[in-house]
Amino acid sequence: MAMIEVKNVTKSFQIQSFDESTKKYIKTKLTVLQDFSVDFDQQGVTVLIGPSGTGKSTLLRCINGLETIDEGDILVDGMSVRDKHKLKNIRLTCGMVFQQTVLFPHLNVMQNLTLGPRKLLGMSMAQATDKAKHLLNKVGLISKEKARHFELSGGEQQRIAIARALMMDPKALLLDEITSALDPEMTSEVLHILEDLAADGVCMIAVTHEMVFARHVARRIIFMDKGAVAVDADKDEFFTVHRKENERVASFLKFIGE
Amino acid sequence: MSVFDFASYAKFRWSDMVLIFRAAGLTLQITLISLAFGTLIGLLLGIVRCSKNQVLNKLPLLIMEPLRNSPLIVQLFLVYYGLPSLGIRMPAMTAALLTLSLNTSAFFAVLVHSSIIAVPRGQWESGYAIGFNKLQVYVYVIARQAIRLLIPQAITLYISQLQTSSLVSFVSLQDLTKAGQIVAQKTLLPFLIYAIVAAVYFALTYPLARVARYLEKRMGFTI
Amino acid sequence: MGYQLNFRVLSQYSDLFLSGIVLTGKISLGAMVISFILGIVLAIMRQSKNKIARRIAGLWVEVLRNTPFLIQLFFFYYGLPQFGIYVDALTVGIVALGINASAPNCEVIRSGLLAIKTGYYEASAALGFSKLQNFLFVVLPISLRLAFKPLTSNFVNLVLTSSVCYSITLMEIMGVAKTVSARSNRPFEIYLILLISYTLFTYAVSFIAKAIDKRIEIRL
Repeated sequence: MAMIEVKNVTKSFQIQSFDESTKKYIKTKLTVLQDFSVDFDQQGVTVLIGPSGTGKSTLLRCINGLETIDEGDILVDGMSVRDKHKLKNIRLTCGMVFQQTVLFPHLNVMQNLTLGPRKLLGMSMAQATDKAKHLLNKVGLISKEKARHFELSGGEQQRIAIARALMMDPKALLLDEITSALDPEMTSEVLHILEDLAADGVCMIAVTHEMVFARHVARRIIFMDKGAVAVDADKDEFFTVHRKENERVASFLKFIGE
Repeated sequence: MSVFDFASYAKFRWSDMVLIFRAAGLTLQITLISLAFGTLIGLLLGIVRCSKNQVLNKLPLLIMEPLRNSPLIVQLFLVYYGLPSLGIRMPAMTAALLTLSLNTSAFFAVLVHSSIIAVPRGQWESGYAIGFNKLQVYVYVIARQAIRLLIPQAITLYISQLQTSSLVSFVSLQDLTKAGQIVAQKTLLPFLIYAIVAAVYFALTYPLARVARYLEKRMGFTI
Repeated sequence: MGYQLNFRVLSQYSDLFLSGIVLTGKISLGAMVISFILGIVLAIMRQSKNKIARRIAGLWVEVLRNTPFLIQLFFFYYGLPQFGIYVDALTVGIVALGINASAPNCEVIRSGLLAIKTGYYEASAALGFSKLQNFLFVVLPISLRLAFKPLTSNFVNLVLTSSVCYSITLMEIMGVAKTVSARSNRPFEIYLILLISYTLFTYAVSFIAKAIDKRIEIRL
């Protein structure tokens, strides 16, 4: 059994738009994922790539139960996201980091890291602090443990957010375009951290446009297009065989300058 | 007397209701007059507050701050009971109008000031760039934008000033609150009477509150 | 001018004034606690998905904002005995003032709640927090800090409004002033001092509040 099983998932959004000709608001249904299936094992780094609006982020959000799915099912370690009572365990199994940095503004770095383990895992303050220090070392920000979020750069905030997710000992990290809002310098500092983590064997599922990251770190690459899996391949295979043979992959890679 | 003693309600006569409505008229009259004066004085104070002259723009604070930061009842008593010591005597009505007007003006000035400075700096600059002088920029560019911020907040202030006007009952003016007290004492039905008086106050201001909220929403921004 | 200002006369009443200040403090502190707790509950109700809870909280706030505090006070003080509920003036004053101030508190706490981006909710949900935990550990602390400054100005207003309580026989600072002005026949001096003291008090509070606000400042 795979760690995460996405089975025939359909997800659509209601969007409201203004129709100029009738002067009325109309609701339209936008289907993002259509009968979508994929499995993830707890092994290495999987990178999701593809044009914007193809449902990559939506997929991650559905796995973490942040969006409710219309049809199909997602099982995380055998737990269904449809089961409200399992949601907490699912979220403890899959840590998530977002594009926008969302450190809790009323807490400093250390408090941000220890809040979850203390309240949810019943860890003592001392235990949590120890663990936080260990992880802060890992992301290279041990000197910032007392800092507030506005004293940190975007890259530093994202590194803290990664550490905060790791505090819960998740089996996998879901990374939703975590470098898209950062400038190149900060992007590379965050990617370095991810490379280190990958080397430590942390399982990650990342939506990203950073091809360098995909090339260096990924084990598996999933190319999504129009709400479906277009290519699901080993990294080397993807950058050699599929790049040559698959027209859509080729044009996408060309488009993003790869 | 218990609320459930229904026979006692017979003591409440239509003439009492008339008294209450008449008094509501006085409350409205006092409020409207003092709001009119308060708005005018407040506008003036607020504009002076926006002056670039660092001394001049602090002057209005001298009068505004005590008015905003002390209870109206103290201000009213100072004027009505205190000033006669200095040989300044005035009827209760004048004292009430004077105090309420000044009190309103202090709060209104703050609204004017904050609405004007909330207009982005660039608006001034682009006004000057067209070739307007200062007054023209004020009138054609700044005032038009500031007023959209001002109006909903001004209405909220007016509502709260109408409630505050109930304090004039302490200087023996027979406003809505005083009438309520008189009728409550006469009929011994305080629960009912104060509920009625509260309902009259509510009816006077709630529609305004709705208007303020609508404007706030429609104009799309508040400070 | 024939009138000589004389503040000295008042010094013999200093004990009375002190007791007035103490009572004003009691009323205000008690009312603050009530209005703060009610304010949070009302703000939650106004944001809730339950239509009835929203309506009740909305009505509560509107009624309090659109009727004078003096009438609310009389309503409780003279009206409750009609139900056979006899409460002393101090309790009535504290509770009525607390209820009155719950309306503005509800508004500022609510705007604190509204200012919180969905991102925080998602971040804490992703950590595994339940809705209640998310509210207690993330949403409420953030919104209370956002609301800190307007809350303090509400509390200052509450202290100013507490002066009205003298009308139900409470000898707080305003009641004392009224008594002393009759005894000493020095109303001008008394009310002037009162005006200045209240102003200084308000200034002191907002000065302290500003300092605290800076220390706990939150940038979203």
